[in-house]
Amino acid sequence: MDSTLFIVQLINGLQYGLLLFLIASGLTLVFGVMGILNLAHGSMFMVGAYLAWYFVQQTGSFAFSAVISAVIALLIGFLVERTLIRQLYRRNHLDQVLLTIGMIFVFNALQGLLWGNDPLGVDVPQALSASIPLAGIIEYPVYRIFVAVFCVVVAGVMYYVISKTRLGMLIRAGESNREMVECLGIDISRLYTIVFAIGVMLSAVAGVVAAPISSIVPGMGEHILITCFVVVVIGGMGSIKGAFIGALMVGLVDTFASVLVPELSSMMIYIFMAFILLLKPQGLFSS
Amino acid sequence: MENNVILETEGLCKYWGGLKALDDLSLAFHDNQLHGIVGPNGAGKSTLLNMLCGHYKPTSGKILHRGESISSIKPYEFARRGIGRSFQKTNIYSNSTCLENCSVAVQRLMGGSFNFFRSRYSQKMLDEIATQALEKVGLGQRRDHIASQISYGEQRQLEIAMVLATSPEVLLLDEPMAGMGHEESQLIIDLLSRLKKEYCIVLVEHDMDAIFELSDQLTVMVDGQHLVTGSVDEVRDDPRVKEAYLGQGDEVY
Amino acid sequence: MLLNKRAERLFVWIFFPLALLMPMFLEQNEYYVNKLTTIMILSIFVMSLDYLVGKCGLITLGHAMFYGLGGYIFVMIAPEYEAVNFWIYTFYICAISATVAFVIGFLVLRTNGIYMIMITLAFAQMTFYYFSDSIDFGGTDGVFVYVKPETSIFGLSLFDLDNPTHFYYLCLFSLFNTLLFFKVLIRSRFGRLVDAIHENPGRTVALGYNIFIYRLVSYVVASALGAYAGYLFTLQYGFVNPSMLSWTTSGTALVMSILGGMGSIYGAILGTLVYEGLHYSLEHLTEHWLLFMGGLIILMVMVFKKGIAGFLEDLLEKRDGK
Repeated sequence: MDSTLFIVQLINGLQYGLLLFLIASGLTLVFGVMGILNLAHGSMFMVGAYLAWYFVQQTGSFAFSAVISAVIALLIGFLVERTLIRQLYRRNHLDQVLLTIGMIFVFNALQGLLWGNDPLGVDVPQALSASIPLAGIIEYPVYRIFVAVFCVVVAGVMYYVISKTRLGMLIRAGESNREMVECLGIDISRLYTIVFAIGVMLSAVAGVVAAPISSIVPGMGEHILITCFVVVVIGGMGSIKGAFIGALMVGLVDTFASVLVPELSSMMIYIFMAFILLLKPQGLFSS
Repeated sequence: MENNVILETEGLCKYWGGLKALDDLSLAFHDNQLHGIVGPNGAGKSTLLNMLCGHYKPTSGKILHRGESISSIKPYEFARRGIGRSFQKTNIYSNSTCLENCSVAVQRLMGGSFNFFRSRYSQKMLDEIATQALEKVGLGQRRDHIASQISYGEQRQLEIAMVLATSPEVLLLDEPMAGMGHEESQLIIDLLSRLKKEYCIVLVEHDMDAIFELSDQLTVMVDGQHLVTGSVDEVRDDPRVKEAYLGQGDEVY
Repeated sequence: MLLNKRAERLFVWIFFPLALLMPMFLEQNEYYVNKLTTIMILSIFVMSLDYLVGKCGLITLGHAMFYGLGGYIFVMIAPEYEAVNFWIYTFYICAISATVAFVIGFLVLRTNGIYMIMITLAFAQMTFYYFSDSIDFGGTDGVFVYVKPETSIFGLSLFDLDNPTHFYYLCLFSLFNTLLFFKVLIRSRFGRLVDAIHENPGRTVALGYNIFIYRLVSYVVASALGAYAGYLFTLQYGFVNPSMLSWTTSGTALVMSILGGMGSIYGAILGTLVYEGLHYSLEHLTEHWLLFMGGLIILMVMVFKKGIAGFLEDLLEKRDGK
């Protein structure tokens, strides 16, 4: 591998890893604070991508579509938490798995009903459609760099919110000791609603920004969900920091594997995960 | 007559992060004796028991069983060496009958736990040993009752029966009288005074009357540290003990 | 007694005689015989999962891995244009998949709860992608089985796998044996430990048992049976493809098992029958049957927790009470 290709793959890997972080952080946040494993988390990624496609078709504006999709995702998260997830807090893991599998079925059916099963695509927004030269011969699309920067900004905002604000303090408290938060007289159910809705929104936003660089197909949610599982298993369930490191690792491993060992490329992250598990059964940053 | 030392700790320490739950504890537990352990809440009594049965690993220091270090063996191997324990919170198979509870304990000694085809009810001897354990604690007539449906006191007795059914040498008992009425406590006291003639018992208990009545050796712990060990009378008269308990309104003795 | 619940006895006495007679009524309709055969095969698969999840408390979302492996191992080791012996290959497939389960179980069972759910899923996906991408195994199209095995024992050939009715009876026979096997297992000494570990793992360790080994044995046994079901499926349809390994196969099996009544073993048959029945009828009614299926699952988790088996048991108990 020459150095140019190496740099391109490095950037691709980081960009993919950052996108994974956006999704995995929501998954791990919801688990860490609420103790819920949401298998339908990937479905929201799919919903985000389809919403983006729909609104771009209608309005032609990617920025507008992104905002409206995020708002809709937030509403879906709010509704789902209030009606369904709420029932699960005192139930076991198995019920969580089943209920969220049911939700995947419903989301997939709705996707087929509303948008059909043909692959769709969203154009890269005009303002970001240029390419910049990289190491002389190769050009690198601006939009992919935008995605990476966007994810870094979101990660930064999350870091700020969690470490500096009152909401963040509650989230941290909720992670370590649920009863304590309740004892402090805080309305834990409102905290849960907020956390769940934000987690779902993060996943949908990732779907929106990924829409122009990937094809929008049925089943894309499940694919990304399982990749995110690998991320949080490596990073340690419930740890945002773990999700960040895990996502970058998975992004890099996946990207480089497709160049170095193409015949095993789609298996490589799982082999990597198995290796990490042998060393640390609870992941790298488990509490 | 000096009884053999069965279980020993040497400079045993347990830290949780920066918190010292147990600090440099060296104790010896003897055969056919009941060794009581008392101390205010947070003194490290349960931590000690949890380490003696292998549930926690020591941060430093050693646990010796018949002179052999067992600090690094697996938790389940403690029970195989004859170190049995009861828990502070009732810990039984509550959906099974009392007999079945004890049968699980007996089966390890009888073998056949990897037999897929032989019925679990086929061996008389297993039943008999399990029944004996129940009778020993006075639960003979509760044999076929579901464990969750007997009284709380009986559940505590059942837990001791389960430990006895493993044919142990050491009994580690974590507050077996917690939450019991006076009559029920008396039953356990009678039981323990019988059992201590056969076993090496380590008893953690809040009920001071009971522990004074039962202990051959008594250790007082405060803040994870060893304060004093001796006979009941020696401990009772020790000025340091009085000092440690001063202001502990709930620990009247 | 082996069947200790009334609902269970009732079901076994109704289901198996009916299933024995069924092909006589359906003689002219091969489609339904095949459909029922598939239900029998799926029931074996769901039953092995029910044992793991409901009896051992090991929640796995990767059981389909072994279902698919059953088929893939067959096409890997059997010669393409030559009829092999069914019984010998049954042994091979169970032995190889048990070995795989031993290795995977060693990794997976070190963890528990949510972690185990995710890791089992991840391993299943790993095999899914391996076979989807593999040129040797036909990628997403899978592999065809051109010659079905012959079934002779000591030179005596009892039935023919190409005959749908014969195949139906083979699957029914296998299902009956699987049920019997699990019932005997649960009543055994080993079963006592399985119950104890499920109900109170901590206590069982304190009694001196190495619970990891017991869980591993259960995992290996259930996985081998899951692979056997996959092997039957491959023989029935004459092909194997990656969709057998997909997470939806695992998820659907879990739903069937819950629908039937988790941990009841015989409920696996009930759950599979009802789920497949609903699937079949909804599919004929509407293209968007998945929506109803999803809604049904959500409803089930909310209000119908003990499944059909639990419902029947409660019903019979109530009637006895009067």
